[in-house]
Amino acid sequence: MRENVLLSNRITLWRVALLFLATLFVQPPGSLAAQDISDLAPAEIIRLGEQMYLKGLLPSGKPMQAYVSGDIPMEGTSFTCVSCHLHSGIGSFEANIATPPTNGRILYQERKPYIKGFENVPSYHRYASYFPVRPAYTDETLAALITTGFDPTGRSVLKVMPRYDLDDRDTAIMIAYLKSLSDQFSPGVSENEIKFATVIVEGVDPAAVAAMLLPLENQINRKNSQALTYQSSPRLARMANNVMGPDLGAKKFSLARWVLKGAPETWRAQLDAYYRAEPVFALLGGISDGEWEPVHRFCEENRIPDLLPQTDYPVLSNSDWYTLYFSRGVRQEGEAAARYLHSMYDLFAGRAVVQVVRDGRVGKALGEGFREVWATTGHPAPVEIVLPEGEALSGERLRQIVAEHKPAALLLWDDATVLAALEGLPDQAGRPGMVIASSSYLGKEMWNISESLRDLLYLTYPFRLPQEEGRFDVALKGVLAGKNPSDYDQKILRRSYIVGELLSKSLVQMRGEYYRDYLLDVVGMMADSVFPLYERLGFGPGQRYASKGCFIVQLGKGANPQLERRSEWVTQ
Amino acid sequence: MTKGITLVILCMAAITGFSPNRSAVAAEAPYKRTVESLSMPDVVLVNQKGEKVRFKTLVESGKPVVVDFIYATCTTICPILSAGFTNLQRKQGVDSAKFQLISITIDPENDSPPVLTEYLERYQARPGWDFLTGSRADINKVMNSFGAFFPNKMSHRPYNFIRTNDQGKWVKLDGMIGGRDLLNEIEKVGVK
Ligand code: HEC
Repeated sequence: MRENVLLSNRITLWRVALLFLATLFVQPPGSLAAQDISDLAPAEIIRLGEQMYLKGLLPSGKPMQAYVSGDIPMEGTSFTCVSCHLHSGIGSFEANIATPPTNGRILYQERKPYIKGFENVPSYHRYASYFPVRPAYTDETLAALITTGFDPTGRSVLKVMPRYDLDDRDTAIMIAYLKSLSDQFSPGVSENEIKFATVIVEGVDPAAVAAMLLPLENQINRKNSQALTYQSSPRLARMANNVMGPDLGAKKFSLARWVLKGAPETWRAQLDAYYRAEPVFALLGGISDGEWEPVHRFCEENRIPDLLPQTDYPVLSNSDWYTLYFSRGVRQEGEAAARYLHSMYDLFAGRAVVQVVRDGRVGKALGEGFREVWATTGHPAPVEIVLPEGEALSGERLRQIVAEHKPAALLLWDDATVLAALEGLPDQAGRPGMVIASSSYLGKEMWNISESLRDLLYLTYPFRLPQEEGRFDVALKGVLAGKNPSDYDQKILRRSYIVGELLSKSLVQMRGEYYRDYLLDVVGMMADSVFPLYERLGFGPGQRYASKGCFIVQLGKGANPQLERRSEWVTQ
Repeated sequence: MTKGITLVILCMAAITGFSPNRSAVAAEAPYKRTVESLSMPDVVLVNQKGEKVRFKTLVESGKPVVVDFIYATCTTICPILSAGFTNLQRKQGVDSAKFQLISITIDPENDSPPVLTEYLERYQARPGWDFLTGSRADINKVMNSFGAFFPNKMSHRPYNFIRTNDQGKWVKLDGMIGGRDLLNEIEKVGVK
């Protein structure tokens, strides 16, 4: 083990020394990258290169080896190119460290202290000034950079960039991959326009669809009138240049509506047809009452981003990349309930936790969310009772359940019809200390919970409290100008407003690098900022469920009650 | 790639005054070392196993302690800081349990215990390296007490804190630091 470390240390030094000599006396050693890999099919080269770039695994399947910070050995399975240069290869910006692009297009160009065509755009200028100038790479100098850390000027680059112990053949594969990475701009972008679409599942309440569309179309219209004045007024054009550069400044946006009809099994063909007819750069929002998975799959397979569709049932995955969701959906409320109860479990004195689940999609998702998180706490499994669809829970049945199990806590994953059954519970001997229900499942009826239940009943509430949301009203007013606010579902409207904000912020930060993966990379690097509706949204690199939190609340006293917080936004 | 060639080249490099650092155009900033008096907040955090941990007790257990602030999906600097921890544990060999490494997440919303576990596995962490999360309020208290409050996780800094035997005094290292340098710093405060 120790021997190995020494050995690879020596190999690295050897390369460093050799390169140094080469720059002194002769051309760089061509053998470093001139390795012939033509025995491999092009697709295979890309697959093997991508495996190094994304997973840190050599073509042999073994972890890549490298040195960071000068003398710290590391393995590719801990982190690899993608951890710093990101999916698109356009690089990252974090903690004052700028990681430069590593896509072939940019590597094989000379780097100047400015970006051509964008000399007067402050953000481009600042960006360009982070990196020292260098000539264009060649295959040879690129191989040298990756293995020795010397760039073509002979500068030893920051030690944050690992020095990789790659043999000549694997280096050649890596380089071939970098050349293919973020090579051509993604489809849906032309000189004058960026095309977007939004997916609408037929059957969703038209008012809900209208609330989803309004902020998006508002954003697009604003962008397009900006692009128009850009054409006509040099002064305004200069102002736009300062913010977004001449390229984005002049572009118009379009938003197509992709309406999906019929059974979810048939959506894929419809999506393919829409896309064939008009390739878009990305999907924005979208709305469905039920299924979303076929859209998710479509995006994954065609590598098309979808920013924040409105669905209660997102696809849960640790590895999928292209769809960014608001949250883990309605099940997140069940998960939050489990964490909340876990934090006070010591008080339960061994009494049971009972979970009553309405058969149907919402109830099942809530029940599943609770069950899965609860299982990780090591406490005894909850007692589970399933209510058949369409049959309201009676007071009598609830009384029996409580008498039989004497739970410390009772979870009621049911709609508002359950409220009537709860009326007698506060007076029942041996009743649970708390009952938890889902505010989303109860819907508007949650505001009509009777006074006598308000001490006992807790609600999962996955949003900022309404009384603290007022500061966003001004922003929303712009969207609602000339409209009657009560015509629009406020939650849907606010979510869609977030999509518009996120889109405009990220496009500005993309500096004209119109790659779909870069859009998602940029969203991942977005500074934490405050948005409507959700107490916190986090778009960390690679994170796919922006809101991780949920409050546990109770309804306060009186005729015009407010929600009162009983937990933090996130409990671990 | 025989030993012989390596030697010859190294000698020539030495003769011609070769040193990678000297040839650097944009010089690498060295890390900054300061000594700080810190008082630890009395908060209960959660470790990678989902267990509650009284932060003060863990930090003041009497073992030598190194603390850093990272998060699971962070680019560039956390991988480097964590590679430094992996390296420390390797160098300590079987003694790694005598030594307490603590990573504290600055992204508690995302970094739940399963996420922390997966992260530690990726860095081949051994017992003696704990990754802590908690409520946003408690994490803020910890960041504040280290003078390392990052209102925005994308603008955090690469800090390592080493607890000294001198009551309440910590060595703060600001910047990317090599493996040998970090070990030296730890040895300097009296840890073997
Ligand atoms: C821990 C973060 C990190 C990892 C992992 C990483 N890099 Fe880098 N890389 C950097 C930084 C930071 C720089 C800029 C260094 C400088 O210019 O001083 C850089 C520079 C480069 C450059 C030079 C770019 C130029 O314009 O001169 C290339 C090429 C490169 N990296 C490729 C790779 C490849 C390929 C991998 C994976 C095999 C990789 N990097 C892994 C952080 C990283």
